[in-house]
Order: sequence, then C-alpha cells, then structure tokens
Amino acid sequence: MKKTLSMLLCVLLIAVAAVASAELPRYLDLKVGEDYTDIKADLMILNHRTDLADTKYPEYIAAFTSLYPNVTIKFDTITTYADDALTRLTGGNWGDIMMIPALDKDELPTYFIPFGTKEEMMEVYNFADQWVWDDLTYGVPSTGNAQGIVYNKKVFEQAGVTELPKTPDEFIAALQAIKDNTDAIPLYTNYAAGWTMGAWDAYIGASCNGTGDFSNRIMPHQKNPFSDRGDGTGPYAMYKVLYDAAALHLIEDDYTTTDWEGCKGMINQGKIGCMVLGSWAYPQMVAAGPNGDDIGYMSFPITVNGKQYASAGADYSFGINKNSSEDDQIAAMLFVKWFTEESGFAYSEGGIPIDKKGEYPAVYAAFEGIEFIPDTPAVEGEETLLNDMNAETELRFNAGGDAKIQEIIEHGFNGTKTFDEIMDDWNERWSDAQDYLDVRVDE
Amino acid sequence: MAQSMAAKPNRPKLSFKDWFALPRVQKWFVIVTFAIVPLLLLLVFTYIPFGKMIEYSLYDRSYTKVRAFVGLKNYLRIFTKKDYFDAMFLSLYYMAGALVQLALALYFATLLSFKTRAGNFFKGTIFFPYLINGIAIGFIFKFFYTRGFVLDTVLQALGIPLESLPYWLRDQSINNISLVATSVWRYTGQNMVMFIGAIMSVDPTLYEAAQIDGANRWKQFLYIILPSIKTIVMLNVILSITGSLSAFEPPYVIMGGGASGTATYFIKMHQAAHIDQKVGMACAMAVVLMIIIIIATILQKLFFRYVLKEGVDDSAPAKKKKKAAAAARA
Amino acid sequence: MSKMDKIESLSPAERFVRALTTVVKYFSLLLAAFIALLPLISCLLVSFKTDEEYQLTPVMQLPQNLLNLDNFRRVWVDGDMGRAFATSFFVVMVVVAFSVLVGSMLAYVLNRFRFPGNGLIRNLFLFATLIPGIAMQVTIYQIMSSLGLVNSLIGYIILQCGTDVISIYIFLQFFENLSVSLDESAILDGCTYFGVFFKILFPLLRPAIVTVMILKGIGVYNEYYAANLYLQDKTRFVTVSTALYTFTGPFGNAYNLICAGVILTMIPMLIIFVACQKQIYSGLAAGSVKG
Repeated sequence: MKKTLSMLLCVLLIAVAAVASAELPRYLDLKVGEDYTDIKADLMILNHRTDLADTKYPEYIAAFTSLYPNVTIKFDTITTYADDALTRLTGGNWGDIMMIPALDKDELPTYFIPFGTKEEMMEVYNFADQWVWDDLTYGVPSTGNAQGIVYNKKVFEQAGVTELPKTPDEFIAALQAIKDNTDAIPLYTNYAAGWTMGAWDAYIGASCNGTGDFSNRIMPHQKNPFSDRGDGTGPYAMYKVLYDAAALHLIEDDYTTTDWEGCKGMINQGKIGCMVLGSWAYPQMVAAGPNGDDIGYMSFPITVNGKQYASAGADYSFGINKNSSEDDQIAAMLFVKWFTEESGFAYSEGGIPIDKKGEYPAVYAAFEGIEFIPDTPAVEGEETLLNDMNAETELRFNAGGDAKIQEIIEHGFNGTKTFDEIMDDWNERWSDAQDYLDVRVDE
Repeated sequence: MAQSMAAKPNRPKLSFKDWFALPRVQKWFVIVTFAIVPLLLLLVFTYIPFGKMIEYSLYDRSYTKVRAFVGLKNYLRIFTKKDYFDAMFLSLYYMAGALVQLALALYFATLLSFKTRAGNFFKGTIFFPYLINGIAIGFIFKFFYTRGFVLDTVLQALGIPLESLPYWLRDQSINNISLVATSVWRYTGQNMVMFIGAIMSVDPTLYEAAQIDGANRWKQFLYIILPSIKTIVMLNVILSITGSLSAFEPPYVIMGGGASGTATYFIKMHQAAHIDQKVGMACAMAVVLMIIIIIATILQKLFFRYVLKEGVDDSAPAKKKKKAAAAARA
Repeated sequence: MSKMDKIESLSPAERFVRALTTVVKYFSLLLAAFIALLPLISCLLVSFKTDEEYQLTPVMQLPQNLLNLDNFRRVWVDGDMGRAFATSFFVVMVVVAFSVLVGSMLAYVLNRFRFPGNGLIRNLFLFATLIPGIAMQVTIYQIMSSLGLVNSLIGYIILQCGTDVISIYIFLQFFENLSVSLDESAILDGCTYFGVFFKILFPLLRPAIVTVMILKGIGVYNEYYAANLYLQDKTRFVTVSTALYTFTGPFGNAYNLICAGVILTMIPMLIIFVACQKQIYSGLAAGSVKG
C-alpha cells in the first residue's frame, strides 16, 4: 500500500519536474497586456492583507482579468500570516503565488522559480536582492516600506509638541506630554495582535544604526550587539523606547486586549497619539475615518551623528510555486509583473515603488532630509547565518520574533525586569548561539 | 501460516468456491477485512509518526531540512532552558485547577444524586459548557475578562470598586488562574456527570440501610459514595495530569498564542514546530510529554494495585452489575 | 412516608442542621448555575447590540432591541458561517459513520474470534492510548503532507477517523455482554460471519452506537487544532471552529459580532443537548469506564 503510494508519488514528482524544467519565458522580457493574452490559468495567491480581501483585491482582479480574460484569480488571505505561512509552505498545496515567509535562503529553489539573476533584476527593481540564492532572485517585492512612526498631528499639537522628536528622550517627553495634556493613549502597542510587535524589529537596521550593514553583516558577528552604546543609537536605544514607554505607562492600559482593526479608527479619531509601524500603515490609518488629514508620519526618533536615517526594505515578496503547471507559472509571472508595475498597488498603499521608475507617495515627504537605507544582503556563504542565529537564540529578528518584544512591554509595565537585564539575556543568548554555530566573533 | 500449509494437500479436490467456504478460511477472511482498516490507520497515524517522532528528536531539523544530528542535545535543552521549564511549571496551575474541578464535580454530583428540586435544570446548566466549542469558549472569556466588561461589571455590582480589581489577563500573577478558571468552567460538568453515573450504580439498598442506621449525609458520602467511585475519581486525577500538560485552547485563543507568560508546554511545542520550524526540538518535547504520561499511567496502575487494593475488588462486582444492567437494557 | 416520620422525630438542633444544609445546598447550586450561565448570557445580550450601542453602553446593559438579528445575519454572511456549518456537519456525519462501522467491526473480530495476533492487536491499541496524539502532530503533519493530504477535506476526515481507541473499547465492552449463542444459532442457520455481524449483532449494538456517535460527534464538531492545521485554505474549507477563529482578524474586538458567531455555533449543540440529554449523560458515563 505504502509502496505503491510512494511509487505513485515518485512518478508524479518526476512528471512535475519534467514540466518545471520546460523553458519559461524570461520575466524581464514579458510585456504585460501583449504577451500570452489568451493564456488559460487558475491562480491562487496566498497573502496577508485581510483588510484588502473584500475591498481592493476584487478591483485588482477585475483589472488584470480585463487584460487576461482566461485567467481566474483567487486570494487566500490569512490573518496570522507571519505565524502560519511557513507551515502552509511546507504542507504543500498552497497555490501558485505566495508572499515568501521567513525561509532559509538555501531552501528557495526547493519551492520557488527564479525571476532572473540578481544583477539584471536589481537594475530594474528596488529591493530585488531580498530573496536571492546562488545569484538568482526568487522574490519580487509587492511594495517597499520605510520605517517610521505613524502619528496623529492634532494630538501632538494639543499636547504642545511643536517639533517632532529626534531622539529617544525627546520622544518619551512627547509621549508624556500627550498623557498629561490629552485623553489620547500616547503610544498604542498593539500587543495582543503579536505580529504588530514583531514589526519593531524592522527598525534594527539603518533606523537606529545609520548603516544598512547592521542586520546581515555586523550583528551576527558582533559581541554583545544589544549593549548600551551610550550615544542613544543601536538596538539597545531603539527597544528602550518601548520599554520606557511601557514603564512610564505611556501605552494602553490593558495591553492584553488590544484590537488591531479597532486601532485604525482610534488613531484617526485622535484617541491614539502614535504607533510604531512601517509606512504601509499610513494609508490604512488615513482611510479608517473622517480625519485622514490628521494622520502624519515621522521618522524613528534616533539620531546617528547628527543625522536621521530610515530603514527601508521590501514588504513581503511574491514567490511563484515551482510545482505549478507551466501555464500557471507564466500567468503568475504576468500577474506579479502587472501587480508591481502597473496596478498602482505600491502607490495606493503608501509604499516605496518596486519599479525604479515608479512614483513615491506623499507620505514620504515626511522623510525629507532623511536617508532611506535598505539592509545590505549577507556576504556570500553567510546567506543563512542570520536565520540560523535567529533559530538558535529564538529571538527571531524580523522573522516572527513577537514574543521577545511583548516581553519588553510586560517587564517594563510591571517592573519585573530592568531593561538592562533583558538586553543582557539577549546578549547571552547571542553569544551562546555564536559559540554553538561556530560563528566568527569580531572585536 | 501453518493453516494455509495444511490446506495445500486438499487443494486439488477443492474448487476456490468450496475452499473459500471453509469455516477457517471464512474466519480469516472476516478477520482480515474487518481489522485491516483500523490497523492501517493505527499504523499510519500512530506507530509510524511515533517512530519518526523519536528519530527526529535526535536531529536539529526543520520540516524539510536536516541541519545536523545532535543526539540527546534537544532533550538536554528542555531541562536546562528556562523557557521550557517555565512551561512545565505552568502546568501545575492547570493541575491545581483540575483538582479544584474534580472536587467541585464531586460535590455537585453528590448533591444532585439525592432528590433535588429542579435537579435536572442544575445538572444541565452545569454540564452544558462541556458541549461548547473551545474556540467559542476562548472568545466568551476574552470578552468576560476584558477590563470593565462582564466580570468587572458583576463585581462592581457587588460593591467592589473597579480600581481595586485586578486586570484579569494582564496581571501576570493571576492571568494563568483566570485561564485555568475557564477550563474548570468548561469541564466541571462533564466530570460531574461521570460521577453521577458512578454514584447511581451504587446499590440503593445501601443508602436505605445507612439511613436506618442513622448515618448522616456526610457519613453516607464518606462510607458509601466515596468508596464506590474512587476508581473513577483516581482515573480522572491521572487524566487531569496528562490533560494539564497538553492544555492549549485557553492561552491560544484568549492570550493570542500564549503571551504574558501563559504559554503552556503544548503551546511551546506548537511554536517550536510551526513558528520556529525546530521540528527536532518539538519532537523531543513530545517524547518528554509522552514519557511523563507513561509514568503517570504506571503510577496509576500501581496505585490501584497496592493502595486501593479493595478498590480493585470493588470494581469486579460493579462490572458484573453493569453487565447485568446492559443485558437488561438490550 | 417513612422519611416524614423521621423528620418529625428529629430534635430541633438536628432540624436546624437539616435546614442549614438545605440552604447551603440550594445556594451553592444556584451559584454554580449562575456562574455557568453568566458568560453565556452576557454573550447573548451583547450579540443583539448594534455597533453604536456596543461602543456606547455598558456591556451588561440590556440591548435596546432584543430582536435585533442584524449581527447574526452579518456573521452568517461575512463570517462564512453557512458554509462552515455545511462542512462541519458533513465531516461529523462521515467520521461518525466511519467510526461506528470500523470500531464495531474490529471489536467484533477481537471479541468473537480467537486467533494469533488478537492479543497483540489489543495491546497495540492499548499502548496507543498512552501516546498523546496531540504530541505527534508534528510528524503526522509531515506524513499527511507527503501523502498530499494537507488542504484536502478527505485528508482531514481520514485523520479524524484515525486511531479511535475509545469507540473500540466501548464496542468491545458491549460485545462482552452479547451472548455468543446468538452467533452460533445464526451460523447453524447458514448465516456467514458477515451476515451474523450485519444482520444479527449490529442492530443489537444500538446503545453502544448511540454512545459512540455522541462522544465522537461532539469531539469532531468542536475540533479546532487539526482543522486549522490541515484545512489551511479557508477559501475552500472552513469548519465551524476555524470560521469562528478567523473572527479574530476582521472583526477585531467587535464583540457584538463575535458573540453572535459564538451563539450561532452553540445552537446545534443546544438542540442536540435538549433532545438527547439522557443519551449524552449515559454515553459519557459509559465512555468513562474505559480504564
């Protein structure tokens, strides 16, 4: 029984492999709306934008299928995408296109088809080096983000904060002013949703270091990367903002019952001062009520050598299933190309355009004089190093490490651990993992 | 095997149809056809995964990628890393909750076994939570415990000011108790119904005799009810130990996956497997869980054999009685 | 009558104790009923409130319109509850039918035939009860995905049928009480073993079948973990549990909607409970003696 089954499976796999090895058109050469207009395919797209499922997605589908009438598209949308996507990927049967989850880079060829070489993709697109293995790009970003803070201008005004804070101290003072002078919650953490906490990790790169090398090249090799540098920069200073806000009770009262969908309307109505979320959040907060004009966006309050920087990078990237049929793969390529270059998605979602020729939305005016710096990819041979460190330490930076940030809030709010104790623990775990994985330690 | 060999010499004389009609062939045919499906399921969903689980626990691996053979390192970590240890410690809350739940169930089962006004209503009301979906229960209590909502409103109505009430889910000294309470709420009725069933199977003449002897309720409970149901009570104590290690739904739904120090052992295992993709680690955790359960079961057997010696003797006639009752029903 | 005589003959002190125990008894029962019902009633109340009402009035205040079924309608449509109920009922029916059939068949073979391996099979099932099924989810998931059974309703159903030791025990116990002479006389009448099982014994198993149906049915209807893990594509498969859980996303903390969904999922259980109270109680009591 099992034998026949596995035999069948083998035959199937070989058949699939044969199909996959057939020549696909070159992604960069595809002309959307001109090539393959009669292609027949049913596409299933696994993604994370629950807020768009019943609103904008149907419009995108209609627009694309007007060009490709024989293609049907379905979006499969998961609320807890960061938690579930890897399980979906390994379970197989997930569809044709998905937002690539925090996967080890050496496993990219196991699941996805390449779009082209890194060099040729980088020439045309922003952030195309996010998912590269063996010099091939496996993911096209859906949009790009810069990391800052979404805030309600009116609330800041009422609190008497006239100048946007540029350092952690100024920021905490501003939050305190909001608490003292208004009824708004100064900083809404979105603790309960989980992934909104993991979003803090996005600031660990340029935003607090002024260089894109930190995440992939410096941190894995650094001894005690979470120590206090004494100059208000680095991960220590960045996470300390959250700790201090929690310790001074400048966050929501009962953080265990926060409401992600509800917070959008709350900040729109001026019941929330600010939230630490990427630029993607801005248009959602604007659209959540009548007071869209009150919503503003600012850079993270850390200044490195007198200058502010913003981590920038790819949002989730599209990957195309290696095991889909050839027609489905071609249609998927067309869809990804159309979605990232012509749909206007990045613009309407407040994202940095993927197409280098694309236009920046208005929100980026808030970053005037602030440099966007994406994370530099790891050096060759270390592509999986950060992932390995993440798995070993269970800190999981930018890879679903929600729990460690929730703990910062818990310890801060309840005074159960000092911030230094938390960072010492992280450093210790980091050193242990470097030891265990035999990583070169600098300094 | 031996039988089929023996059948061979007869073969020329028998057509397939005749051979097939032989009682012993018929017997084996029915055995194989009736048993093959459950055995196959048992193999595929219990024993193969069981073997794989033990194998994987010795590796550092994700679902698809084997990183390295690590021997017993995963096991070592479970017992040395604070995280995992804390999760096991958390189970003590659930065990304590289970004991409270058993005591409550026993109390109400005893009350309801005697004549009670609206007894059926009480029984049904206390029991019904058991039938509710675990996810629904999660939502109900998330709502129930939210600041200023149901529980706070009721307590305020009793004259306790809101300021002196704790945050039921945020306060880490009590949030686990809040979660355990939901599980007590859910399962007390089920235990109670089981106990009532056991109490009902006690020979009613015993009560009459006791009443004639002037035994009060407490004495009736102590000398008649308790001895007759101690087997099932003990069984439930053991079940509560194993159940408390695999507690999952309350922290998963109410605390969004075990935040604020509410991640139970099973939640940690789920996270290790599906979020951290440390499948080797998760398997080692599962093996440890299994070993604890096996130890608990062995203790239970020993307990029945040596401590409750007469309990074993009791259960034999009780079983006979059950048989008789079942036969009568049929 | 004899009881009455007794009470009359009690001393005042004893009578006081009696009265006190009665008070304590009913007070504790009432309190228990209140605690059991409070979360459910608060949930029901809030499910009748409009969005505005929910945001502005205290949670325990009565809703303005007790017949406001709008939330239920919204949940039914937006929360995809209709499809969820259909899927769940289908799964429950198939799994229950399968468990009854397979469990009773195996129990028949194990109880009625002596053959080498009988003891082994019993022991294999017995040992299986010691392995926490929940602990093996990780490797079962891998097997399921290598068989291509992830994201397939059939896969989920097969998994739920899985190793069902409890039903097998219930049937085994029941068979012990069915006289072998029934089988023997049927065989003498020329019945095959199949005939004996399906025509003679199976109908007699009714009480055990009802027990298994109830225990299994409740379990499968309320199952969440595997449904979430194996029926991942919620656009295709959604059970009552997984539909309910997805409320955490779009409905956020809008408890007037969430509670409407919660109440909806409870209705089938409430109906079954009211209709088959006796069977559920005796089923549970029977299921508990498996040890």
